[in-house]
Amino acid sequence: MKIMEIKNLSIGFKSILFKEINASLKEGSFVGLLGINGVGKSCLIKTLSHLLERKSGEILLHGREICTLKPWELSQKIAVVLTEKLQIDYLSVFELVSFGRAPYTARSGHLSKEDVAIVDSVLEQTGIKSLSQKYFSELSDGQKQKVLIARALAQKPEILFLDEPTTYLDIPSKLDLIDLLKKLTKENNIAVLLSTHDLELIKDKVDEFWLMGKDGTFSTGSPEVMITSGLIKNNFFRSESE
Amino acid sequence: MKLKYSLLFIPVIVLICLLLVLGESGLSTDAVLINELRLPKVLACLFAGGLLAVSGLLMQIFFQNPLAGPDILGVSSGSSLFVAVWMMAGAGLTPMVQEWGMNVMSFLGALSVFLLLLFFLKRNISRVSLIIIGLLLSSFASSGISVLVSMGQALQLKNFLIWSMGSFRNMTHMELPRFIFLSLLSLFPVWFFLKPLNQFLLSENYAKSVGVNVKQMRMVFVTIAALQISIVTLYCGPIGFIGIISPHLARIYLKKAQLSHLLPAAFLIGSFLALLTELVLVMTPTLSISVNAILGLIGAPVIVLYLYRERSLGL
Repeated sequence: MKIMEIKNLSIGFKSILFKEINASLKEGSFVGLLGINGVGKSCLIKTLSHLLERKSGEILLHGREICTLKPWELSQKIAVVLTEKLQIDYLSVFELVSFGRAPYTARSGHLSKEDVAIVDSVLEQTGIKSLSQKYFSELSDGQKQKVLIARALAQKPEILFLDEPTTYLDIPSKLDLIDLLKKLTKENNIAVLLSTHDLELIKDKVDEFWLMGKDGTFSTGSPEVMITSGLIKNNFFRSESE
Repeated sequence: MKLKYSLLFIPVIVLICLLLVLGESGLSTDAVLINELRLPKVLACLFAGGLLAVSGLLMQIFFQNPLAGPDILGVSSGSSLFVAVWMMAGAGLTPMVQEWGMNVMSFLGALSVFLLLLFFLKRNISRVSLIIIGLLLSSFASSGISVLVSMGQALQLKNFLIWSMGSFRNMTHMELPRFIFLSLLSLFPVWFFLKPLNQFLLSENYAKSVGVNVKQMRMVFVTIAALQISIVTLYCGPIGFIGIISPHLARIYLKKAQLSHLLPAAFLIGSFLALLTELVLVMTPTLSISVNAILGLIGAPVIVLYLYRERSLGL
């Protein structure tokens, strides 16, 4: 079933960075967003999660335009993991993950028994239960990413966006993280979209590629089709002469 | 956790008792003396120290900057400048208008600096640049004050100079109720907005992604912090260092990051520092040291140590 539909979307900060984006996200699908640096991958993720205003076009969530949803309604459907490096002393993993319950908790922010149970279950699911009492600042980069993913999952979203989650990781951690994301997609039957440069690592794992081509065209398709047709080669890698 | 909080109360209570019975001339328990002179001073320390600490904590979280504080980012100075303008300009007005005008002006001064800082923040300046801009705003305000002072008349000048030294002793019995009322008024909304403010610990974008109305919270934060800093500045003069070091001391002591834990602790530590400074002044009546001189002696090394410990902070 389609969760999100994107029609004729133009994105950008001051001027338009990328236009005519058409795509849809289905539940249980694991999508890789490809594109060279500066093409607007982060911008697209921020626009789709409503952190950034779009230039024009439509973003529909179950047929409803996302700007018409209340902020807390939206945050119960869409969660994000951003590239920002977080520097927080003395915040435990459990506390940080519980921040993801904010869309559900009362004004006081007090966690109910149910909230605690959900935080525990996402910690379990992401394999970081043993770290729950550690401070976030003491963790490795790979562990930190898992904590941020757990925080996003605590929002019980239908869609999870991740902006280059594998960038600062070593190869084993990258593989580990991608496998985890794939598992979470299927187990929770949510849509997961991650932007990345690690084409080789994800091409056998994802269900679909979204490609923001350097020629300014947006295309989607299954990995096999996209790779064999040469679309990715032409639009993702820099050509010899460059 | 409970024990750690209780342990914070003890030194504050001890200092309050000491300051109530100790005068510059030694031990005395004259009721009039305590009621008229020492009680206002003690309450001034308690609330002014606490408010500075809370505003510093809010600023550090909001600006994502461990070096943010009311004095360093120039908010106290902005408030002082506006008060100075009012002292010079409002001389002919009725006392009532003068007093309330002073409240309003000190608030507007603090608010203007915050709005300027937000303007720069929106343009993605680095954390270090923000601090430098704050310091420059501060020195701009000081220069403005010097110019105003040079134009003032003798009586205004004397009042102003005493005030600008910073002291918890300027509080009078008459002003006390209004000071306490305003202090409580500025603390109440912090509890009310605890949940969204807490989300800023991660970042503005993450706060937004869980449904926090970031624009609204920005205004809430600026109003609360400006009110807190302006109250302290108006009644006690510009007081340095408490605002920046108390939140760090609270963090190191409790080993916690969430606002709900840190707020009461930072408040108590701020009060403690103010009371301690006042005790030092009471114990050394022959030396005329200012509050800010003592706070500088404690505060500056603490900040240097903190920066040294957090070399990897990426400022």
